Amino acid sequence: MTCDTQSQSATGATRRSFMIGAAALAMPAILGRNAFAQGGGEVVIGVSGGDYGRLVAENIDDLVLKPQGIKVIQDQGDEPFRVAKVIAARDQPKGTLDILQAEATACYRLADAGLLETLDETNVPNIKYVLPHLRTNFMVPQIYSPQVLVYNQQLVDKPPTSLSDMLDPKYKGKFGISAQNALHLITASSLNKTGSASDFEAAKPLVQQFIANGLRLYPQPDAIAAALKSGEITVSLMWLARKNLWRKSGLPFDAAFPKEGCMLFINAMAVPKSAPNKANAFKYLNAVLEPAAQVGFAKNMGYLPTSSETKLEGEVAEQLKLPDPAPKMILPDFPYLAKTQNAMNDWWKKAIR
Amino acid sequence: MSDDPDARSRGFLKAGLLVGPATAMAVAFLVVPLVLLFRYSLNQYDATLLMVEALTWENYVTFLQDSYYRQVLWVTVLVAASCTLICLLFGMPIAYRLARMRSRWKSAAMLLVIIPLFIGGAVRTVGWMILFSRGGMLDSIVSKISPGTHFELMYTPWAVILGLVSIILPFVILTLQSVFESIDVRLEEAASGLGASPARAQWHIVLPLAMRGVITGGTLSFILCMNAYGTPVLLGGPRFEMMAPLLYYEFSSNNNWPFAAALAFILMASTFTLTTLAPFLVPKRYRL
Repeated sequence: MTCDTQSQSATGATRRSFMIGAAALAMPAILGRNAFAQGGGEVVIGVSGGDYGRLVAENIDDLVLKPQGIKVIQDQGDEPFRVAKVIAARDQPKGTLDILQAEATACYRLADAGLLETLDETNVPNIKYVLPHLRTNFMVPQIYSPQVLVYNQQLVDKPPTSLSDMLDPKYKGKFGISAQNALHLITASSLNKTGSASDFEAAKPLVQQFIANGLRLYPQPDAIAAALKSGEITVSLMWLARKNLWRKSGLPFDAAFPKEGCMLFINAMAVPKSAPNKANAFKYLNAVLEPAAQVGFAKNMGYLPTSSETKLEGEVAEQLKLPDPAPKMILPDFPYLAKTQNAMNDWWKKAIR
Repeated sequence: MSDDPDARSRGFLKAGLLVGPATAMAVAFLVVPLVLLFRYSLNQYDATLLMVEALTWENYVTFLQDSYYRQVLWVTVLVAASCTLICLLFGMPIAYRLARMRSRWKSAAMLLVIIPLFIGGAVRTVGWMILFSRGGMLDSIVSKISPGTHFELMYTPWAVILGLVSIILPFVILTLQSVFESIDVRLEEAASGLGASPARAQWHIVLPLAMRGVITGGTLSFILCMNAYGTPVLLGGPRFEMMAPLLYYEFSSNNNWPFAAALAFILMASTFTLTTLAPFLVPKRYRL
């Protein structure tokens, strides 16, 4: 240690002088940050990139948060990595994300592990407008879409009415899903067989029958559009929002609502307990439910708004109109899924081989 | 070389200073994360708590006991070995021809081998997808020749092997080419002068001398294939499992970090063992 001190003294670079130098260098950044904090501070959201990230920036960050003086920083990445960041921050006093954007089931699993803040009217006032069938106390549903049977109108004469129609020999090798939707096929099969989405054992035989009838699998949801267009498949189990987008781009696809009901896909946002800027995170979730922010997503992505305060008008309202009578919308049984999801995944990956 | 002990120790010090930073970087960014990953692999998974601290081999035992996981490892080894064999079979003649080329077109020919490396593996894989998919180029040609029939190569092991070979072949060619360059052409001429046919000269003179390069190229190809992720996912589809996609699936879909960490170590250990043992298939005199 003596040697170190001597050598440092020789060059004049003591620890104290180094600290002073470093502080002087960092001063503009510190002052700038404080000045911004007085205007509303910042908030970091773990979000998927691409078009979705851009729409979040345009319809929530710039539209609602910016006027409040809150700077939004997007930490873009795939969902597994965003979820991993929340898990990794479990034993740390402060994490890196203030808000997590993820699918509802992933949010539930984190909430079940005690990693998410409880949400109610006191911290997110707009939560009172969340549609009753989507309301929970661990996430704010941002957008949602029912799972429907999307088919190519030019190749299917009579639209299917139920998921079990896919066992018809005419659909042999003509029914396909994205591998990412495997869990949703299993829950939809359970719904078809029992009327409840929470019976994995009852779903298994039906899923096996689909596999035996030539169920086709694609790595990504986008591959479904190409397969439907080329006639490789004629029907797929997919979110209504996707059909809306594909339709908008001129593809001849339509949707059939299964009579047993439609499982719901919910894209949600939640606040990790490790969030460094919780106050702003709650403000962000409140902004997510503002009608102006919700309309932007309905218009650009074809998803349904989750707030009863949001009224769609004109062409968008027409495009997203649900049939009358309204189809049954089934919220996933989160506790059941959290308990059985891994078993389902393991069973699925062996069943499809 | 000086026999002065002081000069020798100064030499060691200099060498230490030169390799020190690189060693520190390797320890910080490779060894430490690997140690952490290995520690994770000994933890337990819990559906609610996700990862529970423990000291157990159960993740490794699960892998060994479940035939599904063993099958995935077997498929991975088989694909990697097939790709390596194909790359060597196609790469050797091309590399030899390039090495012996004396025309002004040699630079252009070398450039043709290097150009694919300018394009990312994922982008090249997407190119294969366009070629293999329903309604793609190959399917359209087949449908034209025989209406009503389709050419289904997408989401098959063959598509994965073709995709991987296209990515790895340039590496193998470049490795082998530099080895063939170093073999004196007069040796072949001497063999020819002594009455050996070109094929015999290749087999008895060139190939044994190039064996070190063949082993290096083969090892490079095998390691890259064993760890392939994008190509198996995009061209193999969800039904085709290799180790790297399986590992990611356990990490992302199941949130099972301990088992994913164990899979990572099993993959690393298998790759290391096989690449260490493979050169022993070659007679010892050719390995030197």
